[in-house]
Amino acid sequence: MKQIWSFFDRLETKMRALGAFCLMAMVAVTCSDVIGRAFGVPIFGSEEIVSFLLTLVLALSLPYAHREKVHVGVEILFRLFSAPVRVLLSLITNIFSLALIIIITVMMFQYAASMRESGEVSMNLEYPEYTIIFALSFCFFILNFFILRDILTLFRFKESIRHFTNEEGDE
Amino acid sequence: MSSTMVGILGILIMLAIFLTRMSVAYVMAMVGFVGFCVLISVEGGLNLLSRNIYGSFSSYDLTTIPLFILMGQIAFNSGISKRLYNTAYKFLGSIRGGLAMATVSSCTAFGAVCGSSPATASIMTTVGMPEMKRYNYTDDLAAGSVASGGGLGMIMPPSVVLIIYGIMTEQSIGALFVSGILPALLLTVLFIICIYITCTISPEKGPAGEKFTFAEKIKSLTGLTDTLIVFVISIGGLFLGFFTPTESAAVGVAGVLIISVVRRQLSWKAFVKALYETLSTTSMVMFLIAGAVVFSKFLAVTRIPFDIATWVGGLDLPPAIVIGIIIFIYFLGGCFMDSLGLIMLTIPIFFPVITSLGYDPIWFGIIIVLVAEMGVITPPVGLNVYVVYGVSKGVVGEIQLETIFKGIFPFLISVVIGIIILIIFPQITLILPNLMY
Repeated sequence: MKQIWSFFDRLETKMRALGAFCLMAMVAVTCSDVIGRAFGVPIFGSEEIVSFLLTLVLALSLPYAHREKVHVGVEILFRLFSAPVRVLLSLITNIFSLALIIIITVMMFQYAASMRESGEVSMNLEYPEYTIIFALSFCFFILNFFILRDILTLFRFKESIRHFTNEEGDE
Repeated sequence: MSSTMVGILGILIMLAIFLTRMSVAYVMAMVGFVGFCVLISVEGGLNLLSRNIYGSFSSYDLTTIPLFILMGQIAFNSGISKRLYNTAYKFLGSIRGGLAMATVSSCTAFGAVCGSSPATASIMTTVGMPEMKRYNYTDDLAAGSVASGGGLGMIMPPSVVLIIYGIMTEQSIGALFVSGILPALLLTVLFIICIYITCTISPEKGPAGEKFTFAEKIKSLTGLTDTLIVFVISIGGLFLGFFTPTESAAVGVAGVLIISVVRRQLSWKAFVKALYETLSTTSMVMFLIAGAVVFSKFLAVTRIPFDIATWVGGLDLPPAIVIGIIIFIYFLGGCFMDSLGLIMLTIPIFFPVITSLGYDPIWFGIIIVLVAEMGVITPPVGLNVYVVYGVSKGVVGEIQLETIFKGIFPFLISVVIGIIILIIFPQITLILPNLMY
């Protein structure tokens, strides 16, 4: 099991690096377009390229953002609960989150497949957009494993209760 | 069950799930999806989820967000804030409470290159707190000025909250940015007056610091150069119509990057850190947007926003009372919820009300960002307070949360006064956009 999670951790690091590269590519393409425009040679379809890069940036950072626990939640009532209740609530909310992300993964995959079937391409570059949606679906698929790992960790009740008790102490 | 009842039930369920600490973005997407399935069809709900999430994730308008966040992160990691603080310190440090005034002024100036409130609070804690500690400033004044000043980054352009408000309400981001400048400066002045009064009543709170010669003060003005160059090129280009918001942000990133590299103040490690921080913050913001979009589609089919707008329009209340109630709701919400999430959740409901009452949407945008600014410093959520609490631990030692909240109170009064001034004199907000657009 450890080897599987270590594989996903390595994958997340690679995805994050690629996401950072896409982010800088967004800057490079936009700046090149601005400079090119000043000399009468703008980059054709730069808006589409930047939009696709944004999708890739977001897709590739999904597991990293989850791992860093950046998504905001309302803490106010949660803090008042005892550690076992916190574990139970986290378990339930993580299961709901996993269900939501599974649905998004499947629907995104189906959306990409339908775009491929219809032969839809982007307006300017005539790029087959389904490839980007498949990539997004794949990244959501990877995100599922990170949420699943959190759920499995929470099932180790004693350890989880200790973790939440320490969190309480930190506050 | 009528669609309005389903909508009300959906909102109540969503608020209940919020209390379990589940991600706000996930909750909005989940409730929006289920609600849409109930009111329209399961197939419609499933399609809504995939198409709207992809739509948000690939929106050209939203490409502005990661780029402005990156600009702030690079500035954050390259010492620009330190030079800004140094300039303000040389000018104001020698007067009573001057270091706190310098901190607030630096926050406003740093806000010109960084659109994030917690990032501004965090960097200013690192830069300003040790100096204030060295000159025996009390913890409440020091921490209060940093946490409150950090909120100014949210109003001073570029502001991520204003970008999102602009996209959600289809208002010009350039006009919103330019309209944020005077309110940000007004609030800075109010904060400085607040520090002055505090230190006049209790001089021990902020003793006078080191004195500098006129020549040293003038020399220190070079510390403003970096920020001015980036602001003039990036935001100035946007105001003058040379750049779109995305181009303005990309040029800003390039500008900050070039300055940092030329000055040799950005290591590879710090650059990578800035990139990764941008990835995680962007992911958080964009997920919130995607969740809010799904939820707003559900709200639209329930017709609740329109019903509320019609109901309020039919009430025999003066518009000022209605706006007062809305601001109070934002204030209460801001106490319990992240400001970005709150704005995204409530804009679909309140925006039609505001427009039906004839208020200017640009003015309203600035007002709710100001109210959200109160949210980041009020208990019990007060994001900036926790940022200052966390960062100060490693910089000047632990400061009690109660002390920080106590220190914030005078600044909170200043924000309330600022909001009242902007409500009475909307021209302060609207004069610049009216001149330029």
